[in-house]
Amino acid sequence: MIFEMANTIILIIIILTSILAVKFKDLLASVIALGLVSLLLSLEFYILQAPDVAIAEAGVGAALTTAIYVFAVRGTQRLEEEE
Amino acid sequence: MRRFALVALMIVVSFLFFGMTIMHPIGKPILQDMDNYFITHAQEETGANNVVTSIVFDYRGFDTLGEATVLFAAVSGVAMLFGRRIRA
Amino acid sequence: MREMSRIVRTVSHIMFPFVIMFGFYLVVHGHLTPGGGFQGGAIIASGLALLIVAYSRSRVKKVVKKEVLTTIESSGLLMFIGLAFLGIGATFFYNFLANSGIIFGDSVAYGINPGNLNTAGTLPLMSIAVGLEVLAGLSIIILMLAIGSLAGEGSR
Repeated sequence: MIFEMANTIILIIIILTSILAVKFKDLLASVIALGLVSLLLSLEFYILQAPDVAIAEAGVGAALTTAIYVFAVRGTQRLEEEE
Repeated sequence: MRRFALVALMIVVSFLFFGMTIMHPIGKPILQDMDNYFITHAQEETGANNVVTSIVFDYRGFDTLGEATVLFAAVSGVAMLFGRRIRA
Repeated sequence: MREMSRIVRTVSHIMFPFVIMFGFYLVVHGHLTPGGGFQGGAIIASGLALLIVAYSRSRVKKVVKKEVLTTIESSGLLMFIGLAFLGIGATFFYNFLANSGIIFGDSVAYGINPGNLNTAGTLPLMSIAVGLEVLAGLSIIILMLAIGSLAGEGSR
């Protein structure tokens, strides 16, 4: 019961965080929101009893992808342009 | 255009909800022969306590070889792309 | 690339040994606990990425060298394929060391048991090989992107 509740709450937070990642104008904050999505997704995998996938998601998605995006933002520009 | 996007979104969402109603419950697969074989035989055949690792590195070793090859190709591509810029 | 602030550098300096140790634990204990080569290598590479993000390029270049990483990556992949070819007497990827009494060759008790590190034949060796390959490969990607993004910054 409590696991199903945690499941639903985590999925709702994932959706809200990804909407935030689209909405942010500061791209560094957007990258941090994407890392948070990956971290919550690894928690969701752990609740669904897949610890291998959870470790891989936390390592690759939350750490390495965030580092790659940070370097990409640093190489181009930080603020999103208005159209 | 905006109305078309709204209709498309509603169709996709209704399809997702319909799929949710007929979805299989988590943890109860339909075909279980292979799973039962792995669960009963993996420990004595490979000697590993972790059945997932024994599948990844022993029974399905070709998948891991392909994964390693893909990673090697990706790293070679990145090194070729950025190596020239660094030296210049 | 500028160095990040003193807070970031201190925290990454404290966190780095623990992250590396956890990654090597995942690689070596792949046949007993959840984890394995890919996951452990990704964790170790994320620890190195922590250093690369926090410190400046010239200080990282002394510690993490590109040639060493490429050598580690190629030797990991070659070790993996070689281990797969060693069991070619029966099939490709045959586990010829399991229950044989040589290295990693103890037979395991059936059922739920705490586990013995000296079991599982070629699985730990393959796990170590894949772990070396993944850690070196992902570290090369991060290092290349760090230096490449800096080169674009300097030319502008």
